[in-house]
Amino acid sequence: MGKNVLLVDDSSTMRKIIGRSLRQAGIEFDNIFEAGDGLEALAILEKEKVDIVLSDINMPNMDGISFLREKSNRDNMKDIPVLMISTETGDDIIGEAKSLGAVGSIKKPFTPDKVNEVLGPLL
Amino acid sequence: MEIKEKIIDAAIEIFSTMVMMDVSVSEEGVNDSGRLQDTITGLIGLAGTHKGVLAIHIPHPVALAITSNFLGIDISEINEDVEDAVGELANMLGGNVKTVLTENGRDIDLSLPSTISGSSYHFQPSKDVEKVVVRFETAHGPFLIELQLEK
Repeated sequence: MGKNVLLVDDSSTMRKIIGRSLRQAGIEFDNIFEAGDGLEALAILEKEKVDIVLSDINMPNMDGISFLREKSNRDNMKDIPVLMISTETGDDIIGEAKSLGAVGSIKKPFTPDKVNEVLGPLL
Repeated sequence: MEIKEKIIDAAIEIFSTMVMMDVSVSEEGVNDSGRLQDTITGLIGLAGTHKGVLAIHIPHPVALAITSNFLGIDISEINEDVEDAVGELANMLGGNVKTVLTENGRDIDLSLPSTISGSSYHFQPSKDVEKVVVRFETAHGPFLIELQLEK
């Protein structure tokens, strides 16, 4: 059975770029779900089978840190890994994301090779 | 690293890795963005220990070419895709500038990106600021990146 990924970013452009980078990196998913913020992401995780989440941090309505916090409180999704893809690189913010369960981070801008290097071992 | 150099390095990296477009710093120096004609501006605010705004001013034809490259499809009019792409460019540039101004990421907050588009406007969000303006060239025309920090 194939794997499914959820892309969480308020920029539709960035969601398309991440999807393209996954294909260029040779990483295939059966389904690519998309959410524009943490609230939409939680709603998708409630009803779809998702194997890994790639999430931005700075987003409207519910940002990536709040999304991680809320997700960690829900038994049906707390074990789904989340990889942060963000312009945020500060140790405090990335450290907080990891303390809430993020398994790694990729800095924007990124290359398909970087996506493969970080995401590949997680699949 | 001087902030102007960081802006230049960040822009070249963003355009080469994400937009698939070569950009270079113009030999034509500029000190002000002046009156912007048929342009779209992507901007992101900085708050905290450094307050200001980072903006990228892109003439409409150049913005169409950038968005077409960004998305891999032909874009022929200024629409939501162009606004989103230009906003995301501002977001990535703002994130890079933030890394120069702060060590831990917590003492400066970035706003969500927004855009302005019009046939003729002047960009002056604050009066008492230090300005860095860099003009870049592409095969489709020039664009400007402007950082204004409150003194």
